[in-house]
Amino acid sequence: MNTKSILLCCFIVFFQFLNTVQSQSAYQVGLLPGLNLNNKFKKGWSLNTKIESRQLLQRGVFKTSIDRRNQYVLTDLSFITAKKVGLNSRIAGGYLMRFEDGDIQHRFIQQFIVVQRKSGYRLAHRFFTDQTFSIVEDPQFRLRYRLTTEIPLNGESVDPKEFYIKMNNEYVNSLQSSAYDLEVRLIPLLGYDISESLKIETGLDYRVNSFIRNNTRHSFWMSLNLFLEID
Amino acid sequence: MKTTIKTIPFYLLFLISIVFSINLQAQEKYERESRIKQKDVPTEALRFFDSISNINKIKWYKEEGFNKISFEAKFKLNRTKYSVEFDSLGNIEDIEIEVDLDDLKTQLKDTISTQLNRNCNSHKITKLQIQYTGNKADLWHQLKHQAINPNTIVHYELIVKCRQSKDVNLFEYLFSEIGKIVSVSKIVFKNSSHLEY
Repeated sequence: MNTKSILLCCFIVFFQFLNTVQSQSAYQVGLLPGLNLNNKFKKGWSLNTKIESRQLLQRGVFKTSIDRRNQYVLTDLSFITAKKVGLNSRIAGGYLMRFEDGDIQHRFIQQFIVVQRKSGYRLAHRFFTDQTFSIVEDPQFRLRYRLTTEIPLNGESVDPKEFYIKMNNEYVNSLQSSAYDLEVRLIPLLGYDISESLKIETGLDYRVNSFIRNNTRHSFWMSLNLFLEID
Repeated sequence: MKTTIKTIPFYLLFLISIVFSINLQAQEKYERESRIKQKDVPTEALRFFDSISNINKIKWYKEEGFNKISFEAKFKLNRTKYSVEFDSLGNIEDIEIEVDLDDLKTQLKDTISTQLNRNCNSHKITKLQIQYTGNKADLWHQLKHQAINPNTIVHYELIVKCRQSKDVNLFEYLFSEIGKIVSVSKIVFKNSSHLEY
């Protein structure tokens, strides 16, 4: 089961990559480091604090121009409060600040999460809405769904000192100035459970958008995430 | 706000050092289960299956706790899930068979349901296993011939989703053969914030 899943993930990523390089689409490549702190409180409450940055290493159009200038893009800082509402579900809301080009964007977040524990793997469904406001751009409204699969590489669940595969697949519907767009994200990650309270993950964060307007843009971010749990 | 490529590694190093310094202060719970190869299983445990020919594929697991190491063999037999547990030397401890609630006798089901209704405002049984304990020969005979041996002791292990006042949790209940509660333990879930955010 594990080997099959990994092979399937590799196949999907490889197939998508082949499609990408054969078309005349814009792309960008960069780094996406992030730190995620999760504080647990009484009665099922928790607070998640996340800081994430983007550093652009390269951009261009496939088979034509390449711009290899390194460039800092943005930093996100978010605070999300969550409440357990069922055995496997949590409802959450929060606020994100995006620091980009000297301006600050304000994003309000609402999400509902269900985590399913299966035999040999875990699935998480995330239903997400957000509203973004800034001085320089029109408000943006998004409706998102993400499916996350966690597959342990040893045993039936991920234990300390063990590796795991995590696969995110997200569909982001956005509406801005009456223009609709769909972004699809596919994020295969290799994780390591350092201890009960600390995990590290790295992998490719692949995003494709604007394809419904025939102006496809691909983003390849090298992701590095740290998750710290504070009880 | 301007950050250059040169500042990013320092920023990352700073974050990593904070994370690791906090982690060193945290108390670690040591309990793990891992898949192992057949060559790492005690010979005594392997021998238990020697002359039981109708089992096709056995998956072996090692469970390590603070004071105990055990080995578990998981397999399917006639479309039913089996789990056989051994101690660190390979001596058999129990056989567990996954069944449906409807496989239990009505009277036993009612007794168990009454007990659960007392403990929970509402409940749902998500998994049920019949657990057989006894001496090696009796357990071996039972597994080989797929027939209940009267010398083995029967327990019922239930995983129950239980709602109590405003909270809902998962519990592992162990019931005796006549439906009396032997033990109850709350199942603590592993962290899932890396799947949620």
